[in-house]
Amino acid sequence: MSTQETYKTKVKELLSSGKVKMVIGYKAGTTADRRRPHFMRTPEEVDQLVLDSACITNLSGYLLSEGLLSDGKEIAVFLKPDGIRSINILAAEAQLQSNQVVVLGFDINGSEISALQGERASDFQALTSSSNEARLHKQQHPESARLEQMTPAERFAYWEDAFSRCIKCYACRQACPMCYCRRCIVDNNQPQWVNTSSHTLGNFEWNIVRAFHLAGRCVECGNCGRACPVNIPLGLLNMKMTDEVLQSFNHYPGVSETQEPVLASFKKNDSETFIL
Amino acid sequence: MSEPFEPKIVAFVCTYCTYAGADLAGTSRLKYAPNVRIIRLPCTGRISPMFILKALQKGADGVLVSGCHPGDCHFNHGNYHARRRWTVFRSLLEFTGIPQDRVKFSWISAAEGSKFAELINSVTEDFRKLGPFDQYKKLIKETETAATF
Repeated sequence: MSTQETYKTKVKELLSSGKVKMVIGYKAGTTADRRRPHFMRTPEEVDQLVLDSACITNLSGYLLSEGLLSDGKEIAVFLKPDGIRSINILAAEAQLQSNQVVVLGFDINGSEISALQGERASDFQALTSSSNEARLHKQQHPESARLEQMTPAERFAYWEDAFSRCIKCYACRQACPMCYCRRCIVDNNQPQWVNTSSHTLGNFEWNIVRAFHLAGRCVECGNCGRACPVNIPLGLLNMKMTDEVLQSFNHYPGVSETQEPVLASFKKNDSETFIL
Repeated sequence: MSEPFEPKIVAFVCTYCTYAGADLAGTSRLKYAPNVRIIRLPCTGRISPMFILKALQKGADGVLVSGCHPGDCHFNHGNYHARRRWTVFRSLLEFTGIPQDRVKFSWISAAEGSKFAELINSVTEDFRKLGPFDQYKKLIKETETAATF
């Protein structure tokens, strides 16, 4: 039986036994290569479930929909390794309790998918640790390396061009499982930290502050980059931040739910070579 | 002969150490460059990266952030948190093309009035050498002209 069929049976069982009140998965999207989130509450809805190599969206953000987890009931959600890491982070940041989340883990290798064994995010400890190890030795993204070779002025011009396209639709924020603030800093108008017009000046601030707020929390699932209607390479900024926290603080986000958030903790001997 | 460029510098300082240090520099009658505008905050831990961005956006040529030496924080560890935040923020600024030289960080205690005066003089000199942040100023100017009609 294919992974998809195995999971269909499992999901039906979960729903009919009443163990979970909802299962979040994927179903066919508007085009053949797209998938959209599928929220299943009854076993009948499971027939539409699709699980294949096009299921790349990180669904963990839907768990934070207002009031969804407040009744204490469990929810099952399809997650790739990066999604499992976001569950760990959300749990570490007290946004959810991981014992309310049933993980239906899967991984994509090329066009194949495989099931991951485990029920709770904590069962995937070995997986998150090995992904930490892999990230440490990952080759730098060629575009990122190219940018770092540039002079600051050239880099500024590069980002000026990229950010000039930003229309401040905040799709990156909506798509991100880590952007759960009820009131985002850009929605604040007293004081108005970020210009609301989509001028490059305010776009700089918005994109910088977005990347900063994700530093040490981003799992590099790529939801933001895919959501961006004008193709700003947001992933490069997030990647840079992940590199930075790895190098400076040896912190890889989402290894476990007991991991301390990197910018909410400190060591007395943190490096401070740049301080006069 | 053209006037030498006078940079506008915004200094975010904590009230317990650096501000007291600046006070000491003043009461000791130490002379330092008048280019700096000091903004006093309770602690370096209170300094959000938003402040730094806002200062640059409002036309600062350089930003200085200064607080208590590690271990001396009035709130025990505000400066440790700030230090982590700055480490990350600096690299983000660098990556987006805002030169790291434009944002400087320092520790100055309440007893270091002379260090404060010397530091202000030296960073003013550094920022003067860098010149105005033309790329950013150009963007600022665009928003200003748009706002006039």
